[in-house]
Amino acid sequence: MSGEEEENAAELKIGDEFLKAKCLMNCEVSLILEHKYEQLQQVSEDPMNQVSQVFEKSLQYVKRFSRYKNPDAVRQVREILSRHQLTEFELCVLGNLCPETAEEAVAMVPSLKTKGRAHSDEAIEKMLNDLSLVKRFE
Amino acid sequence: MFLKVELPWNVMIPAENMDAKGLMLKRTILIQLLEAFASKRATKELGYYLTVTSLDKIGEGKIREHTGEVMFPVVFSGMTFKIFKGEILEGVVHKVLRHGVFMRCGPVENVYLSHVKMPDYKYLPGENPIFMNEKMSRIQVDTLVRFVVIGTKWMEVEKEFQALASLEGDYLGPISEE
Repeated sequence: MSGEEEENAAELKIGDEFLKAKCLMNCEVSLILEHKYEQLQQVSEDPMNQVSQVFEKSLQYVKRFSRYKNPDAVRQVREILSRHQLTEFELCVLGNLCPETAEEAVAMVPSLKTKGRAHSDEAIEKMLNDLSLVKRFE
Repeated sequence: MFLKVELPWNVMIPAENMDAKGLMLKRTILIQLLEAFASKRATKELGYYLTVTSLDKIGEGKIREHTGEVMFPVVFSGMTFKIFKGEILEGVVHKVLRHGVFMRCGPVENVYLSHVKMPDYKYLPGENPIFMNEKMSRIQVDTLVRFVVIGTKWMEVEKEFQALASLEGDYLGPISEE
């Protein structure tokens, strides 16, 4: 367990360096890792042997847990979420878990409703609706 | 959570790999960097090291007195995976035991969900044991589960993170694959 102030992602207590760090959604990681893997395939007979165990497990994971596959859709999802004054961490949790209702979104990202932030249920619903449109037309 | 990180690092090139042609040198530095990155595996601070995405800066090389190696300070961008307490994640069950289940989540092999943290689920023994609740929702090998992380632990020797999960909360539990 981490030191001084207790870590809690639900309250965005994850350390300054991570709050400022760029987070990546599973679907973005999937695009990057798959591209890397294809590059390896071109130069190696047995690409799986060339990658680390960490790479291999992560690739399998993001392939299974990416809600969006098409690069254009992935880009649009980040664009839609970026309009809503979210931290990088919040943005990626929403992009990964794809909640269906505002209530579910707040359960997944409780910090949406803290510190007097102006995320009304209507604004959240609108955002989720825009995301589901991307999914439908993918 | 997957993170994009920018890191300074020192790459050591053995003297015999030094080449008069500049292009080859850059390639040698990159190869050394990729090898060092992969063998690092993980750190407590940044989590699991996935891949280098770009080599952004190569500083001036300095010769090391005793070994004759040349040390190049570099800055590169890469990707890591770190698991945070309080984070909500999804994982895949890979082992079911009487007292709980183990899930895989990204590069983390062992996320443990104790039966104490899923009180409405009952253990049903058998050849393929499962946990099931009154609404017939099942947790078994290969089930996808959405959970909240209630604790993480870094193990220095194994260079591995372990995590404890819970289903106590709204919208947590098994999820259906689309």
